[in-house]
Amino acid sequence: MNLPKIVCPFDPGLIQSITGCALVVRVKHISDVAEAAEQVGKSRNRLACVIVESDDPLADMKFPEQLQNIPLAVMAVSFGRFSNLARQVNMLRGLNLRVYLPCANPENIAGLRILSSLGIHGCAMFGNGATDWEAIADLMTYALLERTPHGSIEPFTFIASNYDPLSYLDWGFLYFDDPERFLHLDENGRVALSHAELLKQRFIADNILELSEPAKCLAISDRQEAWREYFIDNHPCASCDGWKICVGRFAARIPEDRGCSDFFREMLSVVRQYKARKIESKEHPIWQP
Amino acid sequence: MANIILNTRCNRSCPYCFAKREMAESASDSTMTWENLIYIADFLKAAGQDRVSLLGGEPTLHPDFTDFVTYLLERGLDVTVFTNGVLSPTRLEECKRHLLGVRLERLSFVCNLNDPVQTPPLPGETKKLRAFLALMGPWVSPGFNIYRLDFALDFIFDNINRFGLKRHIRLGITHPLPGKQTSYIHPKDMRKVIRRLFSFRHLFDSTRVSPGLDCGFPICKFTDKELGWLHRFNNPSHFRCGPAFDIAPDMSVYHCFPLSNYRRRSLFEFDSLGQLFEHFSDLRQEAKTEIPGIFDECDSCRYQESGVCSGGGLCQALSRLTNEAPVRIAEIEHELAKNRLPV
Repeated sequence: MNLPKIVCPFDPGLIQSITGCALVVRVKHISDVAEAAEQVGKSRNRLACVIVESDDPLADMKFPEQLQNIPLAVMAVSFGRFSNLARQVNMLRGLNLRVYLPCANPENIAGLRILSSLGIHGCAMFGNGATDWEAIADLMTYALLERTPHGSIEPFTFIASNYDPLSYLDWGFLYFDDPERFLHLDENGRVALSHAELLKQRFIADNILELSEPAKCLAISDRQEAWREYFIDNHPCASCDGWKICVGRFAARIPEDRGCSDFFREMLSVVRQYKARKIESKEHPIWQP
Repeated sequence: MANIILNTRCNRSCPYCFAKREMAESASDSTMTWENLIYIADFLKAAGQDRVSLLGGEPTLHPDFTDFVTYLLERGLDVTVFTNGVLSPTRLEECKRHLLGVRLERLSFVCNLNDPVQTPPLPGETKKLRAFLALMGPWVSPGFNIYRLDFALDFIFDNINRFGLKRHIRLGITHPLPGKQTSYIHPKDMRKVIRRLFSFRHLFDSTRVSPGLDCGFPICKFTDKELGWLHRFNNPSHFRCGPAFDIAPDMSVYHCFPLSNYRRRSLFEFDSLGQLFEHFSDLRQEAKTEIPGIFDECDSCRYQESGVCSGGGLCQALSRLTNEAPVRIAEIEHELAKNRLPV
């Protein structure tokens, strides 16, 4: 089996112990990014990206200069004040960067829109805790239908670009949550299928060498087929119009909060407009002699 | 030029304020949101605009004021802020931290100054105003609204020299609100205002400060000598009304404060800036058909025909109409009925 990318904490010893993998390294501070990339470069692995999980607001992070060539996922808890970020905007535009913000408050939702309008790519983290689905829908509409050039806002751009009415679309990998693409290691090298399971200490293997065992491979492929359970259990998500683009991602909220269903149904309608606009704007090539 | 109204609150109560009606009729806590500001910035950038003005109420009272200014600058829009200069210490500190490094040609403040004798300030106002001027002086053009015939300008020159303000004074005349009984400079007094203004000519000349006329001054009330003097400063001087429009926090858009009830629409109804200009150009055209200007002579005036002069402000002209019947613009009739003026 081809090994998925390995998401691991920034620990030089752990990184050196892994060989031949694409690594996603989690760091706590933006100032650790360059060193994490350097450590991966010294190991027999290649760097997929660095995830920065900082407790600081995005606007208060001091991005060092030497990050241009490092794929970065910055997961901040909040956006902060724009004026604190303003002096770094030009530099951020030049980075290979996606900013992740939890959409639990209006400031962060506005923050994603601000970043996008300035050409900085973002990713909305929503569905955990209180969720203002209407505000998320506004953000999604902006991401997909705004005509002025702007940065992408995931998962909306990915969904709209890859939506196929004849199949379902899984976009968990945008959050590094897809065992076929990402496996998560703790500081002792134990393997979990997702970051959430890692935090709950639910491991499928004690180290990545064990992953070649058929039973472990099975655990991964089983997870890929888990969506079938919704139909077997006759879960309300299975009969929702939005299923094809949410794949039961917010099933735990049902039936108390059906906002996700309204949201994804609205999103399908916006995606159709988005697709129609793409077709309209396609250039019709003129004949050549 | 687009004017974005950030909020509808003001910390001063100037006797001539022609935004009062609009502010009073708005929701008391009406403030511009980030979503709407970004929409406006996108709308303007799509039209190739590179300037925007921020108005209020008092725009610096908006909690995100410095964030909005830095954002618009980042979007490539140069910003002019119309303020009264009475800023809280916290807001002043934010300006110090975030705006002092901005290039002078990209950010400017037009600070409306009141004559401390004729319009006495509230306690504490002067101290705050001075702190603002001391900090942001190089970015500030003083502005003055003429609302009485015995106005004085000496104190403005004093402020320019003391705080190093830009050597240019924006001079406005207070406008009527059509259909409302408010105090303003009446067209018949225009010549007196201009004569008074030119009595300060020696101050402008000796301090090398230029006068800038806001909308509403009719060219015919200036002598050739006065026009020649103006022309040396502003090449060429213009005496037109618009084209500009105001965008309120609720995204309604109108020609200007005095005409906020005329042809008011939502910005979302327009696909482009061109459509918006056309909308207000139609309003001006229709109004001009009814009444060409603030004087009877405007009808056959060559300056009006050639577009050099608008025949005073549109609001001043419409204000004449409110006492004449019948009129064809529905909004005017509506205003007349609302204010129980003779139709």
